[in-house]
Amino acid sequence: MDRRKALRNIGTGIGAIAVTPTVVSLFQSCQTAATYTPAFIPAEDFEIVSNLMELIIPKTEIPGAIELKLPEFTDAYIAAVWDENQKASFTEGWSEFLAASTKSASKEKSSQLSIEDWDAQLAKYLKPGNDIPAEEEGAAKFANQLRSLTVNAFKTNEFIGETVMAYAPIPGEQRGCVDLMETTGGKAWSL
Amino acid sequence: METNYDAIVVGTGISGGWAAKELCEKGLKTLVLERGRMVKHVEDYPTMNDDPWDYKTGDVITQETLKKQEKQSRTNYSTKESTKHFFVNDIEHPYNENNRFDWMRGYHVGGRSIMWGRQSYRLTDFDFTANLKDGVAIDWPIRYKDIAPWYKYVEEFIGVSGKNIGLPHFPDGNYLKPLELNCVDEVLKDSVSEKYSDRVVANARVAHITEGTKPGLGRSTCQYRNRCSRGCPFGAYFSSNSSTLPTAEATGNMTLRPNSVVHEVIYDADAKRATGVRVIDAETKEVYEFNAKVIFLCASTVPTTSILMQSKSDAFPNGMGNQSGELGHNIMDHHFQVGAEGRFEGFEDKYYTGRRPGGIYIPRFRNIGGKTDDNDFLRGYGYQGGANRGSWSDTVAEMAYGADFKEQITKPGDWSMGINGFGEILPYHENKMILDYDKLDQWGLPTVTFDATIKENEMKMRKDMQEQAIEMLENAGFKDVKGYDNEYAIGLGIHEMGTARMGRDRKTSVLNANNQLHDVPNVYVTDGASMTSAGNVNPSLTYMALTARAANHAVEELKKMNI
Repeated sequence: MDRRKALRNIGTGIGAIAVTPTVVSLFQSCQTAATYTPAFIPAEDFEIVSNLMELIIPKTEIPGAIELKLPEFTDAYIAAVWDENQKASFTEGWSEFLAASTKSASKEKSSQLSIEDWDAQLAKYLKPGNDIPAEEEGAAKFANQLRSLTVNAFKTNEFIGETVMAYAPIPGEQRGCVDLMETTGGKAWSL
Repeated sequence: METNYDAIVVGTGISGGWAAKELCEKGLKTLVLERGRMVKHVEDYPTMNDDPWDYKTGDVITQETLKKQEKQSRTNYSTKESTKHFFVNDIEHPYNENNRFDWMRGYHVGGRSIMWGRQSYRLTDFDFTANLKDGVAIDWPIRYKDIAPWYKYVEEFIGVSGKNIGLPHFPDGNYLKPLELNCVDEVLKDSVSEKYSDRVVANARVAHITEGTKPGLGRSTCQYRNRCSRGCPFGAYFSSNSSTLPTAEATGNMTLRPNSVVHEVIYDADAKRATGVRVIDAETKEVYEFNAKVIFLCASTVPTTSILMQSKSDAFPNGMGNQSGELGHNIMDHHFQVGAEGRFEGFEDKYYTGRRPGGIYIPRFRNIGGKTDDNDFLRGYGYQGGANRGSWSDTVAEMAYGADFKEQITKPGDWSMGINGFGEILPYHENKMILDYDKLDQWGLPTVTFDATIKENEMKMRKDMQEQAIEMLENAGFKDVKGYDNEYAIGLGIHEMGTARMGRDRKTSVLNANNQLHDVPNVYVTDGASMTSAGNVNPSLTYMALTARAANHAVEELKKMNI
């Protein structure tokens, strides 16, 4: 989706109703889901995947996963880069994650889960110190994989790479040991 | 079309470029034949300025590419979406494997000099005398003193960054200022210096200009972009395209003909000399013959030997120069992908600038005399490696996800360091390549079949390579040190060599001390095929030095009417 168009849509939303960041994200995700045809992720699940990625990389003073189109990147990445075994494993992990999440939230269908339900499920699998029941290991592994994919997409994003992280396409010099704060203000090099 | 020249050079990579430069500078009208397409410096580097986000996969190779480059991608690092055009299509350029053999190739002007690793080390007399001392294979016909001036000459022209530290097994050279080690590299360096008397951590020596300029097509100082294998717009690292070929071109003596598949050297039995080469035009499939007084085969190890094997005549029924029966045998590489890595706690407030093209190098410390000879294997190995800050750390993982997590992943992660061994493979007669005339390529030429494996000596060495790597990192205070010994097959080091070895005796070798075929003195082989043993260092610098030396020998011999 065109970024300018997305911002315009959000602007309209803000003017019309009082919204929380979560609602903005959901609103964006609807827009995204409506205009993007996934290459790998099942179309009916794309919105949920997008919302999960937005929970992992939420909008702050810099855009979040949905506005950065990380779900679209990730979908295209998996479709193009992964072999059939990796794809099958992802699909299996996704089913387990959906099933475990639906059960945890005491709902009948995954489409009935709220953002709060998804958040609770990610917390269970990604926050340290939680005991994961044996039958949910596949779901927990999936959550970790989704986080890695989201981070990869975030760090491969042009806006993040060029304006948020320290960007030096032509460094021009090489120095072995320098002060982090003085050199990049504490940011990692994006390249 | 002119078909008569003073010299013919087959191949335009590391060796061919040097042969072209030296022969043209000495006034020989030289035809340079390249089987692949033209690649002009800068102009034909389409991806040289791309960022990862310019690719829909972030420059990670796709399944679609893999289908065409399965073998080319076996390293897991060399083929990317940004470099794939410099590697061959495996379907169009097939070969056969009795045992897995990884053969990475670039069929274009410049060859692998565009994508090479650029590590540039000299062999030493520990290498040149090794076969004799160990009673393995045959003795090299040359010693360090024969090649040392040519190493100096080559280093001066190409530009090599490094530092002299005065070790006989890591000889001083002609170096531009070294790349800087980072804070954690220095930790390992200090620790090794303190705890070991037999080894040092040195600066990598890489063919990059780190100060000033070098001859060629506008070669200037490295900008530390680390996009080398896509071709460098600054000409900062050595490639044939930026350096030797433009220098040859500038003499007015070079005729460069791409799309020219050389498959045979023509022999005149009466004169006992080669008279020229047979060529198939890769695009039109028309056949041509070109003639010259002297021929340099620099097509890279396997194609060079392949050409000799196909050059059959009554005098040479088993291939030109194969009176010894050694042609195609003794294929070697460097075995690697074994070492260790660990995490380092501290220096959280430190970082580095620039993406350096080389880190640390730990020169060989086994079997170089005295106590260092006390091993259960022959020869030795060196390590390449370096420290860096990772992308996200355990502390970040504890933040799980969300806004704080997002903030943290924009910061550098923990320091970690890996050191990866590169070891010598012995020349085994049974490790060989042969031609398969039942499986022809699209030009009707036989395909190559490989039959080679590493053996007991290499396996024992790998054990030591891993153990020593772990020990050095642990001694230096690294945490969570993990050794690894990943799958390795010959060729994966992309240093395939041997198959037309130099030697003192025509009954046991293919080439003499000047890289001439023993029995056809106007045919020189100066690429990796000529290697009698592998040493343990990256070989390209040696190919350049051997080529420059042989080219100057050829010019002298022509003047004396000896060839």
